[in-house]
This record gives sequence, structure tokens and C-alpha cells, in this order.
Amino acid sequence: MVRKTIRIVNKLGMHARPATMIVKAATKYRSEFRIIKSDMEINGKSIMGVMTLAAEFGSELELVADGVDEKFLIQEIIEMFLNKFGEE
Amino acid sequence: MKKISVKEFYELKKKDLSLSLITHPNTMQGNITTSFLNRPGLALTGYFDRFDYNRIQIFGETEISYLQSLEEEMLYNNIKETLVYDIPAIIITKGLSVPKQIEFLANEMMIPIFSSRLSTDKLFNSLRIYLQSVFAESKTIHGTLMDVFGVGILLTGKSGIGKSECALELVERGQRLITDDVVKITSKDDILVGCATNNYGHFMEVRGIGLIDVAKMFGIQAVRMKKRIDVQIELMPWKDNMDYERIGLSDHSVDILGNKIPIIYLPISPGKNIAVIIEVVAMNHISKLFGYDAAKEYTNKLQEELTRKAKMREKQIKEKK
Repeated sequence: MVRKTIRIVNKLGMHARPATMIVKAATKYRSEFRIIKSDMEINGKSIMGVMTLAAEFGSELELVADGVDEKFLIQEIIEMFLNKFGEE
Repeated sequence: MKKISVKEFYELKKKDLSLSLITHPNTMQGNITTSFLNRPGLALTGYFDRFDYNRIQIFGETEISYLQSLEEEMLYNNIKETLVYDIPAIIITKGLSVPKQIEFLANEMMIPIFSSRLSTDKLFNSLRIYLQSVFAESKTIHGTLMDVFGVGILLTGKSGIGKSECALELVERGQRLITDDVVKITSKDDILVGCATNNYGHFMEVRGIGLIDVAKMFGIQAVRMKKRIDVQIELMPWKDNMDYERIGLSDHSVDILGNKIPIIYLPISPGKNIAVIIEVVAMNHISKLFGYDAAKEYTNKLQEELTRKAKMREKQIKEKK
């Protein structure tokens, strides 16, 4: 199991487009993927789940991957966050 | 290129357009090759630079009264110059009488003249509608066409993927079948209309059973003859890494005979009730026509919340300082 904490650095927050990017990236992997925001924990492969977090600019998320390819999954997702999902 | 012989045209439309042939029957030898019509106007005055001679020429009151105003010799020459062109047919409207020279020259040069009792405007309209249907672009494609809540849904996908079975389930749910397996699509006035290629009835092949007659089995309410095509749904086997639409903000479209219609790529896997999903596609399409887009509605709400929360966070940070 891999756990990583990450802060949202794109101004618009995790709206529909970034949420789709995350889900599409995560579903490529076999590992389970969860995202935790304060008391909310959702399945990172579910689009409705990820959007339900309503994670705004500056908020903190905990990413948890569990499975054979957990490291690659987390790495790809973290890169997306750091690249601000191609936004500002 | 499509064409219709003048003879066939006359036989088919003489009643509707109340046509009668003025010239000798032998003059009906050409073909109509375009759905456009032409008022010769300037050509009759001797200006032929942009004369669309290959169209049916309509002589209305303007043309006839102009010709009647000409001196005999000039009339003869102008008409002769005009009829040198390979005109498929001339139609005189309102049953107006034609100067004798024109009739004589048309017989000589083998150009048929019809007289119609309709007004120019009426003739123009009916003739255009008829010719457009004759010359409309069409093609046949492999698929199944259904009327789902009034939305024309074209189901496509590899053979054996279950288009017919899906159509059967839709029929059982009260939707209507237009045609299975082969759809003839015609493009008319920016609208795509689909129908069967033959008039045998609404037969369908179901793997393992053979042919069935949907109208006999489910009743006449389960079928219809033709339907405007609104959405294409491509059924495809589920693939793990395929990029399926998740939210519905981006619309994909497909080009059929120069008309764009939305297309939905629908992954199917065992246990999925495709008929229900297709009904949902139809209802979503209707919703969008009424101006309500669920995907936009949801994402706008999310966006508002994100903005509000980001502002609150900013405020809190400032207060701490």
C-alpha cells in the first residue's frame, strides 16, 4: 500500500476535467485507488466519487493505492497534480 | 450521376402538376439531370453567359409577356438561339398560350414543351420538392434503425454484437422498429431519413432462431416505415483501456452524407441492459433539445462550490495572518 499527501495547486480546483483525467488514468491500473479528503473517502476510479470531493484550490488530499502496480499508479496521478492538470 | 427521363417524369407527374404536352410526343427524349429549375429570363434577351440550360426551364407570365412584346423576326431568332441549347424540357405555367413560332421551333429542335395549369409559384414548389426527392443523396449502411420515444436511433456495430437482439428488447419495451440490418439513408434539406431498402415488411434475423416478422409478432404499433435519424449509437465490445465518455461534456459527431449527427460509443458487456441505456440516450437527447444538459448542470454546480470554497480558504488564511 502506498500513501501520498498532495495539495491542489491549480486555481480552478478539481473540477470535471481534472476529475476525468484522474479517473481515466487510475482505471488503467489494476491496483485499488482511494482518495481521502478530511472525513470523506471515495473510490478514485469513480468519476462521481472524485467530483463529490469538491476539492478546491489549496485543499489537501490523501492518495492511497493498493495492489501490484500501486507505485506506478501513484506516480502518474502525482505528476498530474504537479502539472496542474495542464492548467494555471 | 442520377437522372430521370423526361418521359418517365411526365408519366409520373402529369396529374400532380396538371401537365399537358404541347409539342410532338417524339420530343420527349432527353433526361433531367438536376433538381434545380431555371427561369430563362435574360437568356430570352440574348444573354447566354450564365444560362443554366441543363435545368428544366420555367416560362411564367414574365417570359411569355416579354416574348409576346417582340417583333416576329426577333422573337424567332431569340427563341432559336435559346433552343439550340440541350434543354431537357420547358414548362409554361398558368396555362398561358405560347406563340406559334416557339412551338414550331421546339418541335424542330426536339425540345418538349409542357403546359401546366398551376401558377409559377406553386409549380416551382411542387416541382422542387419532387425533384429533390429524386436527386436526394442516399446510401445504405449496416445497422438497425429504431424510433425510441420519437428519437431516431441508428444502432451500428460489428455483426453479431447484438443489434437485432437489442432492437427486439426495445420493441418489447414499446419502442418501434424501422428496419433491421440494412438501413437506406437519404439526405434531404439537412435531414437524414432512414428506411428499409425493400418493402417486404419488418423482418429480422435473430441468431439461433432465424427470421421473424416483428409487425406480426408484436403488432403494428411496433413498427414504422421511415424515421428521421437523430443519434447514432455504435455498440462495441467492452475494452479495459478504451477511452469511454465519462461525463458527457464533449460531444462526438459523425458525418453521414454531409450531415453531422451525434454519435455515442457504447461499450457492452454481459449483464448490461443495453435497451434501457438506449432509452436513456434518447431521453437525454430530448432533454438537450429542451435546453437542459445534465452534465453541464452538474459540473457548473461543482465549479461554483470550488470557487466558493477557495475564496473561503483564502479569507481564513488572511485572518490568521
